[in-house]
Amino acid sequence: MADIQLRDLTKRYTDDVLAVDGIDLRIHDGEFLVLVGPSGCGKSTTLRTIAGLEDATDGTIEIGDSVVNDVSPKNREIAMVFQNYALYPHMTAAENMSFGMRSVSDFSAEEIERRVADAAETLGIEELLERKPKELSGGERQRVAIGRALVREPQVFLLDEPLSNLDAKLRVQMRAELLKLHRQLETTTVYVTHDQTEAMTLGDRVAVLNDGQLQQVASPQELYDFPENRFVAEFIGEPAMNVLPVELRATGHGLTAAHEGFTVELPGTTDRAALGADDRTVSFGVRPEDIALASSLPDGAATFTAEVTVTEPLGEQLLLHCRVGSAEIQVKVEPRSQVAVGESVTLGFDRERLHLFAADTGETLYHSARPKADPNGRAEQSHEPASSEGLAPEAEPTG
Amino acid sequence: MATQTDTSTTTTTETLRPTRWLPEDLWVHAALVGSIFLMAMPLLLAMIMSTQTTSEVYEVTNLGIGSQGLANYWTALTEYNFATYLFNSAAMSLVIVVGKVSLSLLAALALVYYELPYERGIFMFILLTLLLPVPVRIVPLFQLLADLGWTNTLLALTGPYIASATAVFLLRQHFMSIPASLVETARLDGVGPLRFLFRVLIPMSRGMIAGVCVITYIYAWNQFLWPLVAVTDKSSQVVQVGIRYIQGSAQAGLTRWGLIMAAAIIALLPPLLVLVALHRPLLKTFAIQQK
Amino acid sequence: MASQRKLYDSRLQAALLLLPTFVVLTAFLYYPGLATFRLSLYETLFLGQQTAWNGLGNFVALATSPAYRNSFVLSVVFAAVVVLGTLLVSLLIGYLLFDVGTRSSLYLVAAIWPYALPPAVAAILLSFLLHPNLGIVTHYLELVTPWTLDWFNDGPQALAVLAIIAVWKQLGYNIIFVVAALNNIPQTLTENARLDGVGRLRMLWRVYVPLISPTLLFLVVMNTIYAFFSTFPLVDLLTSGGPSGWTNLLIFKLYRDAFEFSNLGSASAQSVVLFVLVAVLMYVQIRVTDGYAQYGA
Repeated sequence: MADIQLRDLTKRYTDDVLAVDGIDLRIHDGEFLVLVGPSGCGKSTTLRTIAGLEDATDGTIEIGDSVVNDVSPKNREIAMVFQNYALYPHMTAAENMSFGMRSVSDFSAEEIERRVADAAETLGIEELLERKPKELSGGERQRVAIGRALVREPQVFLLDEPLSNLDAKLRVQMRAELLKLHRQLETTTVYVTHDQTEAMTLGDRVAVLNDGQLQQVASPQELYDFPENRFVAEFIGEPAMNVLPVELRATGHGLTAAHEGFTVELPGTTDRAALGADDRTVSFGVRPEDIALASSLPDGAATFTAEVTVTEPLGEQLLLHCRVGSAEIQVKVEPRSQVAVGESVTLGFDRERLHLFAADTGETLYHSARPKADPNGRAEQSHEPASSEGLAPEAEPTG
Repeated sequence: MATQTDTSTTTTTETLRPTRWLPEDLWVHAALVGSIFLMAMPLLLAMIMSTQTTSEVYEVTNLGIGSQGLANYWTALTEYNFATYLFNSAAMSLVIVVGKVSLSLLAALALVYYELPYERGIFMFILLTLLLPVPVRIVPLFQLLADLGWTNTLLALTGPYIASATAVFLLRQHFMSIPASLVETARLDGVGPLRFLFRVLIPMSRGMIAGVCVITYIYAWNQFLWPLVAVTDKSSQVVQVGIRYIQGSAQAGLTRWGLIMAAAIIALLPPLLVLVALHRPLLKTFAIQQK
Repeated sequence: MASQRKLYDSRLQAALLLLPTFVVLTAFLYYPGLATFRLSLYETLFLGQQTAWNGLGNFVALATSPAYRNSFVLSVVFAAVVVLGTLLVSLLIGYLLFDVGTRSSLYLVAAIWPYALPPAVAAILLSFLLHPNLGIVTHYLELVTPWTLDWFNDGPQALAVLAIIAVWKQLGYNIIFVVAALNNIPQTLTENARLDGVGRLRMLWRVYVPLISPTLLFLVVMNTIYAFFSTFPLVDLLTSGGPSGWTNLLIFKLYRDAFEFSNLGSASAQSVVLFVLVAVLMYVQIRVTDGYAQYGA
């Protein structure tokens, strides 16, 4: 087992594309870390650099205690699982799993056989060992590909979008199996995906990348509750967080965010300077699930009106697209709420779950909730424990 | 070009990254350059020898540029009729390329875009000619063209090559890969067949047509056996058979190998230049042929 | 799907479009092809001036003729050497090209150019460079090896020289297909092998060769046809079948019997034999391609 340390990792291609731009990241021993981001954000390149399939242009990669930049891939004690499985089509599952080990002279035949049998047992693929890839289903192929990684008994597992080629149902099932497998083996795992749901469900911690830069590394819930910038806030969560431009105004007891369609008090704020906002105009963020119909709010809560433009019944919830002033917001409400398109509705915010981002850099200025831990030193800006104006508990985020 | 990336990486971060891939890659590059050089060596040697006088050639290990310069080439072109041969080869290839591509375009148009009875049978009729390369039908073919009075003419050189299963097959495959939605647009617009051919199919098949042209051109230019049989009159002969003539006539006394090498290079250069210039469409077309 | 492409239904137009191709194919391919079969059943008398029904006599004569049997065996051996030699060399060069990344089209063009090489030119160039007395290659070969090159008089050597020329000329075509096939293999297979530390040669024999075997088989068929049909200029310019019949390949014997000895019946029978050969090869090709179609690599 080993931890991984990336220091200032940079990958620049000859045509001057900066794929990875100075990433510092420590992946702890036994941790399941997910790298997530939109396509082209550098997550796969980062993984391939750890594997040694790409050379780092700058910075260092440490696995265990040693810098491995100059160690060839085969000696890094890693195993990788690819999106398209990368199984040799002319070999049986067992041959696929043992081909790598048989290619280097370090293992006896009995050792190889034992490891293949062990891996097959772990994955429940004993029956499939003599079949060729074309005789296997997508999920079975993926299991064999994982089995091939297992037999190497590596220090680190690297998985590059391993579930993307599977259908939705199988993906959910394999997700659970991967978690079980990781709990059993406790091998350090780095997992790349573009799917934030996969990232949230699998990762001990999730690293969000964009444009080759690390945006935030945190536990899934922390990413969701306390995004460090507007990119993370909008990337994590489905549908995405509503972000609107607002003006900050000082009142007698703190700041309010004023939009043409609503005004909301920001609990626990004193003045702009304390937020670190240079400008009067900032971005105001609130998740769709943190807005509710006034009818489900306690009496006396601050409300505003909006016009419903589209309704999307999601089954477990009803998603409303609403027009507020000139802005468009999305709101998740009770599934069987009686709301029609064109109607005016009265809405209110969960004041525990408001966020402000700098209009220019997108940096987070303020969360209305207080982080449990104190990851970034901005916790002082949060307000006192919830006041009576807070929303009813059923409006809590569902994740 | 993964390896180039690797190399340039090595130079930008000199101390951190010594030579992880470099030695092995160097070995691969060296092996490649070596084998390419071996493959090209006969050509390079021939080019050197083609500039030498006969006595220079007879000093076997003389690898200097000879005193003849390009004189051997001039001699081959003028005194040994290579100018005529080149012209005949060019005419033969041109007629075959234009004829074969035109005929195949029309046939492929009919096969892909017309309701045809027995379509499969018609296609098989064309494809089965693959079983009949020239040597399989050479005797009756020669008699037929003699009966037609075509011996020693361009018609005899080109006629047997002007229709081909391969070209029809390739164009048909390509037409079938053009999205059906485009065809339906044409149908809605009521586009006539010739307009469809010239304004839609040909512009959309430029790469494929170029590839077929290159393959056909090289094939036609390099023909030897059939021109040897079909043409007995030297003034109508093509350049490949011209090599046979110059080999025979240059052998009086000391063989003028410099002259023969010059003649061979003359016969090689046109297809070689076409290949270098048009290798991209050629490779794409081959990629389709294999499927 | 197919019917979506059917834009036009005029049978007259379709017939007109197909007519030129049909006329040429019928006149210059099917008619002479069938006539070959007919002629093969006749005996040619008085240097082609008269013919007489001979049944299968020409074939019997061929089967019992030591010269023809010699040509047949020679051609088969020659084809085997050319096919294997070409495949082996182009596999190695193709693999090197694949390894360095073939987007460097300079390397690629430098490796495939023999595709444009006319067989007659290939023959005449090497006939000089390997000339027993004047060839510079001969000179250095004899300097560093104990061999003496004397293919004017040594039959096996003459056949070997022809094979070398034939392989050289055919490399370009083969490399084109080998490189294309290798580039179609998913890159992750190669990357996975790098992680596993699989050696280059082991990877070539154990993974790449099996994976591109459909292409290799296609090349075996094409190279066999080439070795039987397209090597006429080599024999004609270098050895004229000699010494003592050692290079009298089927295609050369056919030409001579037809056009030098005007033995049209026997020559046609030889054409029929070649036809059977092509037919068998094509059949094998189609069967194996179908077999691999489900392979999905």
